[in-house]
Amino acid sequence: MPAAPPSETDFEGLLRALVSSEVEFIVIGGVAGKAHGSPRLTVDLDVVYARSAENVGRLTSALAPLRPYLRGAPPGLPFCFDAETVRRGLNFTLRTTLGDLDLLGDVAGGGGYGALLPHSRELEMFGLRCRCLELDKLIEVKRAAGRPKDLEAIAELEAIREERRKRGL
Amino acid sequence: MSDVKRTPEGFVVAFPPLSGAPPFAPDPVIDAYKKDVDRGLIVENLKLTVDERLRQLVSVQGFAAEVRRAGRAAFGD
Repeated sequence: MPAAPPSETDFEGLLRALVSSEVEFIVIGGVAGKAHGSPRLTVDLDVVYARSAENVGRLTSALAPLRPYLRGAPPGLPFCFDAETVRRGLNFTLRTTLGDLDLLGDVAGGGGYGALLPHSRELEMFGLRCRCLELDKLIEVKRAAGRPKDLEAIAELEAIREERRKRGL
Repeated sequence: MSDVKRTPEGFVVAFPPLSGAPPFAPDPVIDAYKKDVDRGLIVENLKLTVDERLRQLVSVQGFAAEVRRAGRAAFGD
């Protein structure tokens, strides 16, 4: 049975579930943009996760209590979010009891966790130590995605870059 | 909570300083969108810590959810 859609995404709860299980992940997308200073509202958490068997095991255990289900899929599908499913797949757009979570094994223009790791930085998010994609790489992957809906967000991220440069930040 | 580094103007130093030109070429389409970006909001956000920026997201999300609830109550789905 899929989780009922929550009216709000509990970003802190989702991050806490991942951090407390020592999942290796990097925050990207709108939440990363927000961390960099974007005023844009986002409704889901996007993370790139390491594809090692150990990490996939930690990931699936961390999320199991949150009843992950494929977002937008009809109820009743034989979907089981376990290590085998993650191993056979790559990118998952999920609905959980804490809100919407996109798990990405690979992103266009950026690659997987190992390729993005040197372009990430550990930050305090909701009092939790999490890795977040650096601004330039975030812009690069958004550009590479080539989605028209991202154009405003990319313009905003590039404006953040310019404002930071002006101030030596 | 870790110590927060600020510039004399009050901007939070949350990341290493950006150096040099951006590693991507200018894009005329993105530049066209950039004209409409509210830089005032960005400048104010740069004065917040990362944690404050994220808590602001949660607060705005809560406000948006409340507006949706109020809309449903007033006008139905």
